[in-house]
Amino acid sequence: MGNISLTLNGTPVSAPQGMTILEVARENGIDIPTMCYLKDLAPVGACRLCVVEVEGSRTLVGSCHTPVTPGMVIQTHSPKVLEVRRVLIELMMASHPDTCIVCEAANCCELRLRATDLEVGMPRFRTRMHYFPVEDENPSIIRDMSKCILCRRCVAACDNIEGKKMFSLAYRGFETKVIYDLDKPIGSNETCRDCKTCITLCPTGALRLPMKFGQEKKGPVLYVKG
Amino acid sequence: MTKKAARVKTPDNILMALQEAQARSGPLTPEVMAGLAASLGVPSNDVYGVASFYSFLSIRPLGRNVIRVCQSLPCHLKEGQAVIDAIRKALGVGPGRTTEDSRFTFELVNCIGLCDGAPAMLINHDVHTDLTPGKIAGILQKYK
Repeated sequence: MGNISLTLNGTPVSAPQGMTILEVARENGIDIPTMCYLKDLAPVGACRLCVVEVEGSRTLVGSCHTPVTPGMVIQTHSPKVLEVRRVLIELMMASHPDTCIVCEAANCCELRLRATDLEVGMPRFRTRMHYFPVEDENPSIIRDMSKCILCRRCVAACDNIEGKKMFSLAYRGFETKVIYDLDKPIGSNETCRDCKTCITLCPTGALRLPMKFGQEKKGPVLYVKG
Repeated sequence: MTKKAARVKTPDNILMALQEAQARSGPLTPEVMAGLAASLGVPSNDVYGVASFYSFLSIRPLGRNVIRVCQSLPCHLKEGQAVIDAIRKALGVGPGRTTEDSRFTFELVNCIGLCDGAPAMLINHDVHTDLTPGKIAGILQKYK
């Protein structure tokens, strides 16, 4: 497959055919934020955070699943793109509980990291939050679906990496939820393996390891700007 | 897809299989869904995911008559909310619920393709269009 040339943020670049915009951008040192994207797995295109502006396209396109085409003119950080990304994060934050201060994942939360990067403050939207009881009976995983932002990473990871498919999406619209079995809490003697794949990938504190008090928290410390 | 194809037990047939199961034995119970999952070779969470997504598949027991009121945009713009409120008042239960005497199950559904007669609803398989709050009591009377 031959190389094709395109314009990325005003700079001409060349890339092999079949690559996605996101891959080309990352190769050229441009950081497009992502949430649902997992390297090496088929793109889901659920979070829309990686949208970019492509000249001639009616709408913004998801860069994680759009292959580059010859002569494409792409803007990854135009004001329009940044505005959309901010609103998307704001919407995710609006239905996410404001419990960061007591959350296990607070210092390594990707949602907070993205919000900080894009300088998103308090969400403007008031929406009814979803509250689900914490599922903490299983010895290898604690699930708190109130904190889930429906990025589908755990669904994709369990299916593609572990080949188990423990999770699915159920219900519809605002009611959508990642479920286990027939929307049951993960019990103590379920078949979930102790692989930690989904826990490592969860961007929020929705999935975490059962941990005792005083145990060290993992992950880089998040420094909040300003 | 034909009826014959639905009998082939493959994961692609999950929706057809669910429809068949519901037509045969009523609302989908956890046992039915678990059985289907085993015979189709898909995880039970996938079966539940599909069953809970579609308004015409039911994972809860239903009343004798099922009211499905459209909540999509055209109906909403034609005062659909007033109709929903009128039904709620007439039945005494909100959307997603069944009346205590099991006479009605009240559900909100997405577009049912009756936008020309918005606001619209289905009761069982009967179409009711151009609804107003005033018409509700008369329509509900016909269903015992």
